[in-house]
Amino acid sequence: LANPAALAPAPPLAPAPGTVRVTVARSDPAAQTTFEVERFEPMMVLDLLLAIQRERDPTLAFRFSCRVAMCGTCTLRLNGQAVLACQTRVQPDWAAVRLDPLGGLPVVRDLVVDMAPFFDEWARVTPYFAPVEGLDEPAAIRPDDPERRLIDPHLDCITCGACYSSCGIAGYRRDFLGPAALNRALVLIADHRDALGRERLAAVGGVAGVDRCHYIYGCSAVCPKDLDPAGAIRRLRRWRVGARPARRTGGRA
Amino acid sequence: VTSGIASLPVNVATIDTDVAVIGSGGAGLMCVLHVAQRAPDLDVTLVSKGQVGRSGCTLMVQGGYNAVLDPRDSFALHFGDTLEGGVFLNDQELAWTLVGDAPRVIRELETRVGCFFDRRADGRLHQKPFAGQSFDRTVHRGDLTGIEIMGRLRDQLFRIRPRELGDVRALDLLLDGHGGVAGATLLDVRTGAVAVLRARVVVVATGGSATMYRIAAPAREKTGDGVAMCYRAGLELRDMEMLQFHPTGLLAGPSRLTGAVLEEGLRGAGAHLYNAAGQRYMARHDPRRMERATRDVVARASYLEIQAGRGTPAGGVLLDVSHLGAGEVEARFPGMVARCRQIGRDLAREPVEVSPTAHYQMGGVIIDQDCQTAVPGLLVAGEDAGGTHGANRLGGNGVAESTVFGARAGDRAALLARERERGTPDPARVAESVARALAPLGRGDGPGPFALTRALQDLMWDDVGLVRGRAGLLRARDRLVELSEQVARVSVAGPPQANYAWQEALDLASQLTVARTMVESALVREESRGAHYRADFPERDDERWLRYVVARRGAAGEPEIDLRAVALTRARPRAGSEQSAAGGRA
Repeated sequence: LANPAALAPAPPLAPAPGTVRVTVARSDPAAQTTFEVERFEPMMVLDLLLAIQRERDPTLAFRFSCRVAMCGTCTLRLNGQAVLACQTRVQPDWAAVRLDPLGGLPVVRDLVVDMAPFFDEWARVTPYFAPVEGLDEPAAIRPDDPERRLIDPHLDCITCGACYSSCGIAGYRRDFLGPAALNRALVLIADHRDALGRERLAAVGGVAGVDRCHYIYGCSAVCPKDLDPAGAIRRLRRWRVGARPARRTGGRA
Repeated sequence: VTSGIASLPVNVATIDTDVAVIGSGGAGLMCVLHVAQRAPDLDVTLVSKGQVGRSGCTLMVQGGYNAVLDPRDSFALHFGDTLEGGVFLNDQELAWTLVGDAPRVIRELETRVGCFFDRRADGRLHQKPFAGQSFDRTVHRGDLTGIEIMGRLRDQLFRIRPRELGDVRALDLLLDGHGGVAGATLLDVRTGAVAVLRARVVVVATGGSATMYRIAAPAREKTGDGVAMCYRAGLELRDMEMLQFHPTGLLAGPSRLTGAVLEEGLRGAGAHLYNAAGQRYMARHDPRRMERATRDVVARASYLEIQAGRGTPAGGVLLDVSHLGAGEVEARFPGMVARCRQIGRDLAREPVEVSPTAHYQMGGVIIDQDCQTAVPGLLVAGEDAGGTHGANRLGGNGVAESTVFGARAGDRAALLARERERGTPDPARVAESVARALAPLGRGDGPGPFALTRALQDLMWDDVGLVRGRAGLLRARDRLVELSEQVARVSVAGPPQANYAWQEALDLASQLTVARTMVESALVREESRGAHYRADFPERDDERWLRYVVARRGAAGEPEIDLRAVALTRARPRAGSEQSAAGGRA
């Protein structure tokens, strides 16, 4: 019972001989910053860091946990752009790369940052779900319901901070809620199962809210989950000046 | 925070709390939620080796969550599947508790925590097929369910506001003078500072230890810390020989991506597995269930194919789902498609190389249905606990276990914290714990930790892996002793702040402690059942082996083994249903 597709041998993963020169920001001025790292295929930026730490300098500090783009803790700046180290592949034409910690956040050591400012902003939009009265069963909502079509593309945020780091305002002016928190606010405000929409709209419409955004779109450009925080901000701005999203009735199970 | 304890090598701060929760995955966060619900006045401290809510494996859940929700499904069916999957080694009361609570916890996640799982066309919860189940009962959000569950749970912390000690690892459990729990020693990963946490109740929920294998799926934090801590505190472990290998781990060469799971739903949806000769080898190993056989059976079949020389050059087999149609695959499994695309493979259109990957530890600390242990005030929930899954866990029962038992631990902790005083830890134990943790930093001449981790992973894969035998297990026993001696001399350079080599050295100590209980348990079980396959005892033997292996720390620190009969309180294996645990021959 042979499958023709399976019989065709998979093409070998292209070998990429040679090395890539990695320059890493270090906290200790005396620490080595540049390393020639042997390539292999497929190789992610996280693999570069692991190779340095395991084989060259065990004191190099960086975070990672899941290595499959779900935990959001390995975010760093690659040649200035915020990326997840675990899902960014080392390209064949890279001769040299520069790795820096995320911007706008205090550095603990080397590439490790303190995410507290990010989560301080996150907390200010009341990011937790608070059910409306009587929600005792999972609401009956069809997959093609307009409300879900609006919300679903804004889910799956992994709080990696890439957008925060890339926002010209959030990292600069500490009182801007920032793209990730506003994206989360949209998810909750649009959800008719949640009871705190009004308070959140007040928060996102306040001085630290959507008006601080200058639509540079840095956030949406770097999001490793392809979310669109700038789009969320645009929509929140409309809701704030106009009406809240129409609440559906009778849609509950 | 009060003054330090005298006679310690460094100044040690003390933090007092009511309930200490160690671990911030699904079990830990559900526990915090339930303590707050039951007793909002209690002081709760959440200790997490990684970032709070952004570490561990619940967030890596892809497939989903088993719960009986459909009127055509039943507790009896889910329970039966769980026991069949676990080959009747399960603690039946724990398994029944899992099945019974799962629907309520799914409702709680949707209606109180705010998760939104995928819907059917009629607007009700969608449940997808998983392997080894008689009904399609797996609730999910796409193929990356964990992000929704953990993101929403973490957000509830902004309402509850426990004391969050993120990037802080627990070192050792501390007991009071009466054998009850008094707290734990802590190490702040960012600063290198140590502290004593005093608590009325401690809940251990750190997760399993499968990272000690060369090819492994879990997050980096999963190094058996909780089980090792409990073992050192004198608690009994069960089923430590039962380590699950997931059949479809990605193969990506030396990249850390290797071992990452391609989710179970692919097999549920009809994926085929081929060896390098193009044969659907499951036809020889489990002709009835084929690729939808349970993980133990499929993983071992793949391993045997590879060992018999029928694997790919990279040492894998081929997972093919392309016959479902590219559009269908891309719509139903976008996360898996992206994961493969990242290494240049197109899951929707071609077979992808996979290997069995160490995934989940069925064994763990012996608990009752309320997560209580033999140490008063000490609760254990989630993967650190043993018994629920028996010899093999069903896909979709893992996150169910974490959240069900995390919730129960929280409920119980809220009650216990009212009854229990805050005990006084023995300063000598504190000093010993702190000294052991700090030692690698002070040494200048020992081996580094990373090569030792690799050595451990190789030996576990080779000799305590999918196929075991007495000779290999004895070799593993000796090598683990040697490795333990090396780890006792391990040395790390650099500052105490955010020093991950140092953390790796501490992880290794936990892993070796757990590994030794695994080897001793595997040596004793001279039969094959579920995840534990002995080439020298290839048959399942219900006459002798409806017993579970208990490991506890002996006086000299070595594991002591005991055997106990499984209590068949609700169901027993059907006579004549017994089949070879290998499910066929290669």
